[in-house]
Amino acid sequence: MKRVGKGAGLMVALATAGLALAACGGGVNSDAGSSSSSASESSSSSASESSSESSSEAAPVDCGSWGVAMHAWVGYTASAQVLSDVAREKLGCDITQTQLDEASVTYDAMEAGSVDVIIEDWGGGRWQEWVDRGAIVEVGYNGNIGLIGMFVPQWMCDEYPDITDGTKLNEYAELFVTPESGDKGAWYEGPPGYTTIGEKIIEAYDLNFKVINTGSEAALIDVFTKGSEDKTAVLGYFYEPQNFLAQVPLCRINFPANDWTDAAEASGLTDYPETPLVKLATLSLMDSGSPFAVLVQNFEWTNEDQNQVAANIEGGMTPEEAAAEWIAAHPDVVAKWLEGTGAS
Amino acid sequence: MVKIAEALHRRWVQAVIVLVVWFATATVLKGVQTQELSTASDSPFTAFLREVASTIRGNRADSPIFLYFLNPIRAFISGFIEIFMGVIAVPAKGDVIPMLGWFGAMAVIGLIVYATSTLRMALFSMFMLLLCGMLGMWLLTMETLAMTIGAVVLSLAVALPLGVWAGLSDRVMSVLRPWLDLAQVLPTLVYLAPLALVFLIGIASATIATMIYSIPICIRITAHAIKSLRDGPIEAAQSAGSTRWQVLTKVQLPMAKSTIILAINQTTLAALSFVVIAALIGAPGLGKPVIEALTIRNVGDGVVAGLAVVFLAIMLDRSTAAAVNRDKSGYAAAEAVKVRRRIGLAIFAVFTVIAIYLSRFVLWFAVFPESLDFREPIANAANALSEWITDTFGFLTVTGSEQFTLFVLNPLQNVLANSPWWLTLIAITALAFILAGRTVGILVFILLALVMGTGLWNDTMLTLTMILIATGFVVLIGIVLGVWAGRSRRVELFLKPFLDAGQTMPAFVYLVPVLALFGPTRFAAIVLGVVYASPFVIRVVADGVRKVPRETVEAAVASGSTNLQVITKVQLPISRRSILLGVNQGLIFVLAVVVIGGFVGAGGLGYLVIVGQSKPELAGKGLAAGIAIVLLGVILDRIAQGRPQKSRQGVH
Repeated sequence: MKRVGKGAGLMVALATAGLALAACGGGVNSDAGSSSSSASESSSSSASESSSESSSEAAPVDCGSWGVAMHAWVGYTASAQVLSDVAREKLGCDITQTQLDEASVTYDAMEAGSVDVIIEDWGGGRWQEWVDRGAIVEVGYNGNIGLIGMFVPQWMCDEYPDITDGTKLNEYAELFVTPESGDKGAWYEGPPGYTTIGEKIIEAYDLNFKVINTGSEAALIDVFTKGSEDKTAVLGYFYEPQNFLAQVPLCRINFPANDWTDAAEASGLTDYPETPLVKLATLSLMDSGSPFAVLVQNFEWTNEDQNQVAANIEGGMTPEEAAAEWIAAHPDVVAKWLEGTGAS
Repeated sequence: MVKIAEALHRRWVQAVIVLVVWFATATVLKGVQTQELSTASDSPFTAFLREVASTIRGNRADSPIFLYFLNPIRAFISGFIEIFMGVIAVPAKGDVIPMLGWFGAMAVIGLIVYATSTLRMALFSMFMLLLCGMLGMWLLTMETLAMTIGAVVLSLAVALPLGVWAGLSDRVMSVLRPWLDLAQVLPTLVYLAPLALVFLIGIASATIATMIYSIPICIRITAHAIKSLRDGPIEAAQSAGSTRWQVLTKVQLPMAKSTIILAINQTTLAALSFVVIAALIGAPGLGKPVIEALTIRNVGDGVVAGLAVVFLAIMLDRSTAAAVNRDKSGYAAAEAVKVRRRIGLAIFAVFTVIAIYLSRFVLWFAVFPESLDFREPIANAANALSEWITDTFGFLTVTGSEQFTLFVLNPLQNVLANSPWWLTLIAITALAFILAGRTVGILVFILLALVMGTGLWNDTMLTLTMILIATGFVVLIGIVLGVWAGRSRRVELFLKPFLDAGQTMPAFVYLVPVLALFGPTRFAAIVLGVVYASPFVIRVVADGVRKVPRETVEAAVASGSTNLQVITKVQLPISRRSILLGVNQGLIFVLAVVVIGGFVGAGGLGYLVIVGQSKPELAGKGLAAGIAIVLLGVILDRIAQGRPQKSRQGVH
């Protein structure tokens, strides 16, 4: 016992000495970091609840530190990375990116203060509960237009031209039968969190299809890739803007023109709507007067812009590299976003 | 006539009769009263839970329970973890590195390992950490390590006192036992949603989830350690007039020390195995790239992060196990050895101080150097390998899984899920009666009725179908490979690395390759369960076979038995107990992973849990699905444990 005690005591003493040495500052941190910060214990981790009150005091100039929610799909990554890098480089903001599930998971994180911005949200108003409580505000559209739909590989449309009429899908149901769907056609539905009304459409038109919940976008991409390469019949959920469509051409199945925005009220008789994608932010960010709030407000770009960055990411660039390339090539757009921030 | 009457008393005959009647009736009544519920619709129970969830969300900001109780807990836990984070993982605001750069952190960890075990182990641990850094995962590894250490410290703070208490008092143990049993069958995916609801997404929820998972293990081992001490020294101390407290602190705790360190070892591994799943509710660290790899379908990135998890697990396992061994043998060390060790420690400590200094002031020692980063080639190699496997075997696996689905999976699902609910309920209850006795039979009936009450009967039966088939595979693989490994040292050595990797590699890592090979199907979920649970069962079976006394085997061989006869007549029957234990645990492992199959199109309860997390309007269904999974786990556990003592008569 004694011996162990001594060993431990020695260790503690040295560890203390080491930490004291570490805490005395200087070195790499003060060389490369900003001048003022010395806060040792107020570390804000990537997914932690970095409270905004601790962040305001030591911040360089006046941007502050903010959290940007990251979602899994590559288009989102493109938008969020460009936003983060512009904020970092042009405004000197301290931006933390946090990977989170879509929707309520992220809204909760915003209410808790761990993230401040969602740069692309698809759900028409599913955040209302959080808006009512004063946690989140809508900051307008980000310029991207989202369109969800049911798709088949392009070769199917070439072979069966009238398959694009969704109301007549029953004529082709047999083509889509798999062991998973039993004696019905397989209807590969979107991942959890994505807006989906497949069950309602099937019911409304009495389609001879069975919903298979794919669970992840990876599964959908897998299904479509195989369907195109092996010329197997697959019918699945997909959406634009998504760079995958440039690699594997898909063909959209159309239903009568849309008449709803809130999926909960959809009858199933009409198609998914064209959705202008929404920016959401915490009230604390928008009220802070930080130039980052202005940047979020101004951020707007086209589907084409997003696809460019997304294509580079999928082509093997890191998101940072892809964002940097786009930012360098579009100084005019970036300049427009920076209007009113005081930066150039 | 007598023979038939006798036969009817045999359990397996009764079970077969139930099965035949069940299958026949199910075929006739296919598709009737299946209780199928579309994803978007609610049952009364799920609607109720949805309301509850929404009320809780609405109250988080201003209810006193949150303001004065739950929110402070959340703040305390995340604050506690962030202290560790700040030291090794997360730079303070505006800083480039955390308090310690990579080199300093590595040295400090080495010193701690040295002080608790040996120099060799310290160097080994530092090497493992270096490997994590070379995978390009230094900071993420440190985030995971910080979070693991923090969670383990908090778990021990709760579990050690409780464990000691439970070890001293049978009454306390009997109060705790049902909770410990429950926690052991509870699939991890289940309690994420309720925790996130109360403690929000983030470090706090992730830490609490980890604690729920690791505390029961620690309590069990500690209680066992205290309880199994020999009475002699305790009685001696008591008769010498020691108080109860003195007996505990001077005799019992020191004697149980090495087992308690073992508890720390197991708690640490449990906490680490939670890393990936905790990332679903905002845990920082290595889990994030694994989950991302799934959603953007990048095998390579997932594999790289998964490897880092494995290296970290090996390091933590070996170093804490070494501490156990040292503690066992330490008392007898000669004086000269002690002195040498003290000098060694002092030198290492000086090295550590220098390392800390360097890691603060020299960039190369502060930020893990890019020249040592081999992430990209490794990720690319993993991608290429997985592509090659998919291209080469894809046709085979797809056809194979389709045939299997048509001829085994779908028929079984027709019986379990696509038949009237009451038929399945009666049949399972009857089987429980026959196989596990009346008490369990009644319990199973009640639990099934509760499943019915959740309104998710059909989804539960879908999940049950997958679990049963996966368990069948696991048992088959486990017995074949386990017997082989138990009989041959060489086979065991060959299998060992695969078993080690299989047990530490997070299930999410192989989600993507499995998806590529089998598509979004129920079969993919079954494969996941098999890959995850097989290593454990193989180990248990091999262990059981090896423990069969050598003389017995030799006697059988001498009396002219063939190899097959030795296996079936001697080795398997004698090791039956450990095989049953393995199967029982395997079943629970399968349950835990099959629900993850919801991510790859398998549907069932797992999918509802996942979708409930992301769609507020389906939150009720997600919570109800979690409850159904728990019920299913208890049902399977109870039936698999069988009749407590009488089981020996049954088979022969």
